[in-house]
Amino acid sequence: MVQAVLKATSSLDSHRHARMEVLKEKVEEEEAAEREEAAERAERGEKTKRPMEVRREETTMTQEMLRDLERKLSEIEVSVPEKLLAFTKDTIDTSKLPLSYQSNTLKEEHLLQVADNFSRQYSHLCPDRVPLFLHPLNECEVPKFVSTTIRPTLMPYPELYNWDTCAQFISDFLSMVPLPDPLKPPLYLYSSTTVLKYQKGNCFDFSTLLCSMLIGAGYDAYCVNGYGSQDLCHMDLTREVCPLTMKPKESVKEEEKAPPKKYAIKPPRDLTSRFEQEQEMKRQEAIKAEEENRRKQEEARLLEQENAKTDPLHGLRVHSWVLVLSGKREVPESFFIDPFTARSYSTQDDHFLGIESLWNHKNYWVNMQDCWNCCKDLVFDLGDPVRWEYLLLGTDKPFLSLTEEEDEGMNDDDDVENLGKEDEDKSFDMPPSWVEQIEISPEAFETRCPNGKKVIQYKRAKLEKWAPYLNNNGLVCRLTTYEDLECTKTLEMKEWYQNREDMLELKHINKITGLNVDYFKPGHPQALRVHSYKSMQPEMDRVMEFYETARVDGLIKREETPKTMTEHYQGRPDFLSYRHVNFGPRMKKLALNSAESNPRPMVKITERFFRNPAKPADEDVAERVFLIAEERIQLRYHCRSDHITANKREFLRRTEVDSKGNKIIMTPDMCISFEVEPMEHTKKLLYQYEAMMKLKNEEKLSRHQAWESELEVLEILKLREEEEEAHTLTISIYDTKRNEKSKEYREAMERVLHEEHLRQVEAQLDYLAPFLAQLPPGEKLTRWQAVRLKDECLNDFKQRLIDKANLIQARFEKETQELQKKQQWYQENQVTLTPEDEDLYLSYCSQAMFRIRILEQRLSRHKELAPLKYLALEEKLYKDPRLVELLKVFV
Amino acid sequence: MGAGPNETFKVPPPASGPERGRMNRLYDMEPRVMDDDMLKLAVGEQGPREEAGQLAKQEGILFKDVVSLQLDFQNILRIDNLWQFESLQKLQLDNNIIEKIEGLENLTRLVWLDLSFNNIEAIEGLDTLVNLEDLSLFNNRISKIDSLDALVKLQVLSLGNNHIGNMMNIIYLRRFKALRTLSLSGNPVAEDEDYKMFICAYLPDLVYLDFRRLDDHMKELAEMKHQYSIDELKHRENLMQARLEDEQARREELEEHKAAFVEQLNGTFLFDSMYAEDVEGSKLSHLPGVGELLEAYKDKFVIICLNIFEYGLKQQEKRKAELDTFMECVQEAIQENQEQGKLKIAKFEEKHLLSLNAIREESELSSIETKIVEYSEDITELFNVLMTLEMQLVEQLEETINMFERNIIDLVGLFVENVQSLMAQCRDLENHHHEKLLEIAINILEKIVKGEMDEDLPDDVRSLFVDKDTIVNAVGASHDIHLLKIDNREDELVTRVNSWCTHLLDKIHKDEIMRNRKRVKEINQYVDHVQSELDSLECGDLLD
Repeated sequence: MVQAVLKATSSLDSHRHARMEVLKEKVEEEEAAEREEAAERAERGEKTKRPMEVRREETTMTQEMLRDLERKLSEIEVSVPEKLLAFTKDTIDTSKLPLSYQSNTLKEEHLLQVADNFSRQYSHLCPDRVPLFLHPLNECEVPKFVSTTIRPTLMPYPELYNWDTCAQFISDFLSMVPLPDPLKPPLYLYSSTTVLKYQKGNCFDFSTLLCSMLIGAGYDAYCVNGYGSQDLCHMDLTREVCPLTMKPKESVKEEEKAPPKKYAIKPPRDLTSRFEQEQEMKRQEAIKAEEENRRKQEEARLLEQENAKTDPLHGLRVHSWVLVLSGKREVPESFFIDPFTARSYSTQDDHFLGIESLWNHKNYWVNMQDCWNCCKDLVFDLGDPVRWEYLLLGTDKPFLSLTEEEDEGMNDDDDVENLGKEDEDKSFDMPPSWVEQIEISPEAFETRCPNGKKVIQYKRAKLEKWAPYLNNNGLVCRLTTYEDLECTKTLEMKEWYQNREDMLELKHINKITGLNVDYFKPGHPQALRVHSYKSMQPEMDRVMEFYETARVDGLIKREETPKTMTEHYQGRPDFLSYRHVNFGPRMKKLALNSAESNPRPMVKITERFFRNPAKPADEDVAERVFLIAEERIQLRYHCRSDHITANKREFLRRTEVDSKGNKIIMTPDMCISFEVEPMEHTKKLLYQYEAMMKLKNEEKLSRHQAWESELEVLEILKLREEEEEAHTLTISIYDTKRNEKSKEYREAMERVLHEEHLRQVEAQLDYLAPFLAQLPPGEKLTRWQAVRLKDECLNDFKQRLIDKANLIQARFEKETQELQKKQQWYQENQVTLTPEDEDLYLSYCSQAMFRIRILEQRLSRHKELAPLKYLALEEKLYKDPRLVELLKVFV
Repeated sequence: MGAGPNETFKVPPPASGPERGRMNRLYDMEPRVMDDDMLKLAVGEQGPREEAGQLAKQEGILFKDVVSLQLDFQNILRIDNLWQFESLQKLQLDNNIIEKIEGLENLTRLVWLDLSFNNIEAIEGLDTLVNLEDLSLFNNRISKIDSLDALVKLQVLSLGNNHIGNMMNIIYLRRFKALRTLSLSGNPVAEDEDYKMFICAYLPDLVYLDFRRLDDHMKELAEMKHQYSIDELKHRENLMQARLEDEQARREELEEHKAAFVEQLNGTFLFDSMYAEDVEGSKLSHLPGVGELLEAYKDKFVIICLNIFEYGLKQQEKRKAELDTFMECVQEAIQENQEQGKLKIAKFEEKHLLSLNAIREESELSSIETKIVEYSEDITELFNVLMTLEMQLVEQLEETINMFERNIIDLVGLFVENVQSLMAQCRDLENHHHEKLLEIAINILEKIVKGEMDEDLPDDVRSLFVDKDTIVNAVGASHDIHLLKIDNREDELVTRVNSWCTHLLDKIHKDEIMRNRKRVKEINQYVDHVQSELDSLECGDLLD
């Protein structure tokens, strides 16, 4: 396959120099006519030449190549899904696109001319190479120069400021469409706005968009037209190891050994034989080497197996990617980004097989270097005209003085006809992009993938991604790893969650061992951090880890096996660090009862304590063991800093009765102690007795705590089950779209406002209006009229108050009567009534009584308020601006 | 004073009940002596109850173990016989007729002392009770607050119903930083209408006054009212504090210099001391030309002194660094050794438990015996291992200590040598000065003899110039005194540095021996314990 690459890109170097000297005249003659034609065309603003041009370019391919191609094409089967073809210009509504999409400005026309010229010279000088990808058609069938399709844009999202996240976004956001012809660059290159709108594109669309965004973010980025491996072109990651499954390399920190101090003691003399040691070491090394060897062989075998499939079109597949050069944005080294997968590759990577040309928004460069060794030998010094042939003069790349001359010569050709354009040509720069501003809506940004879903297949792994809130259990990502290459036997599954109310972050399911590990973010109601289990049944193997700072009891970890429970603590005021409980078999007496009411009997409780700095070491208990079945308590104290042995004490709790039948309170043999430095007061029986009493109490407490821990496990398990069932998601209070509560609140606020408004309108009701209406409008009120008006208004109001009182009274009486009737009926029929009827009657009575009471209250309240209301109205009337003047006299 | 407490008829506090008060003041009752019987009775009564009480009775309670003692309503006149109660934390002597605080010197652990309802007139005898937090002197005859300086931890002070009449007593209480509760009601001071405000202002950290909480508002008001005087007081206190700190710093510096054996060589001290006792010298300094000579001499001398001083400090640092490294290394070695020992013991103990159980459960006599033998062997092996470790450490440490000894002696030797050479320079200077002085003196003598002396000399100086011998003797005497001073200083320095060195080395050796003995004892004890456990098991088995 390397041959193909050679054909495409090699042997150019020899032509390069010839072009400068020998071929120049030849070219001149041939192209003079065409140039004339082109100039005319430009003046007419004709746009129809491109297809012709394309056809012409095709003819530059040698017949041999064509045949070769044909053969190869017939060999391969490009399985392009039908739906992907749907993204053609038919589906794009071109009529609504802006003018810059539909036509070319004068400057753009000029640029196209220059490009054509360049292309012709190029194809003349390098007939072996494929034509340049210079001005494909856009969605409106207008030829556009590739550099003007790049629209540098800085996105408003901080996540898109760095290249990795930016590339990841594009790779997620767009779905990939293979090139119509995998061996040729596409005929069409759509604008990034269109690509974003339809969320589909080929590699050229991807890299153009990515390049626009990276340049906008300040990177020195270029679109590359070149040749990639099959995997790269088909976005096939099945031969790549998933980056998520790779374990981060453990950085081995070599602890710096402090130089031995001046007075460091000398080690005891080593009396073992050095010869024997050496022999042993040799033997070990031999074994290790053998193992290493075997492993390597195994690896090689596996690799071979995996790489068995080779690509017949290797080196011919056209691909486009992005090159980021070092220098800007603190990029230390140039690298490639594959826009499909968003992975970065070094410029030496095997996947990139050759470069034809590259461009950014300012210029276009053609690769003049040999690509026989893929891209490994390429030098990305764009200022070097021997390696990179540029299209336009006047970029920011440094030039060697040599190029001046050469360019002069090129321009001279143009200037034969257009003398006046000389100045302009020399400083000709890229016209501004014809593409509209690239915009991504926040919704689209959050949804990321088309339909919020994406599946990537890796080697022995499958990665699925979802947009947040798409799954109602909060699942956003799932990584499934398989044992075999065909992805049939699942090894393990990792599921990432977001926005879960129970703060579940990651679920790790190992299918082989059946071990489930749940990881939680801080904020779980029980401060859970990690929960690993095989089954959700209590009293089984499980480990729970906690955020100890969020817990009152400082529990870090609780491990359970069917027979034991171990707890680790940190930062407790009683310095407890560890508690281990051994359980015995459950009593069989109460077989029916659940675990809660019949706890397993505890056989042994071991508790360990941190050193309490407030106590002397030999009074500070380090470990205490309650042997409950044997009624023994063992204490071990902390070791003093200058000792190697620690105090020990053992209490036998047996209470015995002596020969006379008296209870023995305490005898010296009930407490066996070993003291490093014997103390007087601890020998006393009283001291021992008190210590034992205290321990007895503490034993009870410990048992209780262990029992509570068991209960807590049950509670957590129950809670976890409920949470799994409910899987409610939290919604940020700033998320106005999803947050139902805030939405409700907002609506309620609006409603309140609306009501307030209504009330205001009501308040403005004119209580004099009905009375004023009786009078002829427009006339001024006389005093008499005013007085009458007032009286009428007041009378009316009084009447209304009375009416209301009467109404309440009437209702009250009616209710009372009804109740009385019912009571009477009850009195009469009491004997014959069924219990249901009686209940009915009683409930009726209580309801009626309630109604009567309310009516009573309302009546009394009305009686109370009516005079006040009346007075208030009177007052208001006196103050009414329309009457105030006329009524003044009466006050 | 009108509303002050009646001296003969004191009102008991409401909590104590009427009969208590009556008992307290029954004058017909004989004053009692705090004798052993009374104390024993009280201790017995107040000791543990029930089962524990039976045990306590069986064993008896030692006075020095008693933590709390209550001796109220005993008509005690004099505090006595309490010296045995070393660990006493709480002592109640209220409602007695005590007139003087005494006999409490030994109770240094005391936290709680109740002396209310007594006839005490002055606060005294509390200077050793540094742990005291709660002191009640309610209802006594105290008129002045003082002698409480030692009670730095004092939190609660009850001085109600006393005769305190001067508000300035309260300022005394400012020194108790932990004081939170104070009661002064029933004193003449409390009659003052400004009483509360004054206390609030001067004791801002106080929380409770006369059993009532002081609210923040009150505190603010008080602070505003007395702001000026308090500011002044604070200023004075700050100055005092600063002075104390200054002095402390100076003292520390001097200590440091002393540790370097070059104290007071950083100035003219030695030179001045040379002339302090030198009568002739000071007389001679009045001679013409001697003043300048003396100045130059002094300058040179002081420069050498400074050299010695700086050199001394540098050497001190070097010695300290040497000692620190040595100590660190020794500590590390011991630590490591201890860790190893602990590991061995832990391993043994694991096995120990198992084998003990095995022996217990074994029923056959012969196999029991074999197991016991095995076990004893284990114990012996443990002993051997631990002892080997210890011996190894001893050897290693000995080597290191010897090395250190050599180095430190070298260092000290070098220091002494250099100081001596510098001191010799001093002596040279002195000799030189002496010669010059003699020359001048003789010249003047000649002048005087010839009568050419035009300047006037003081009479006592002139008296020296009677003849040549006198003047030569005078100059010589001055010279001798100077040399003597220099020699003394040098001797002092050398002796001290040498004795320091010897002491240090002695201590290191002694410490190491102590450590070794302790460890050996510890190992023996442990092994004995394990062995005895085995023996008891054996006995038990044999009995079974």
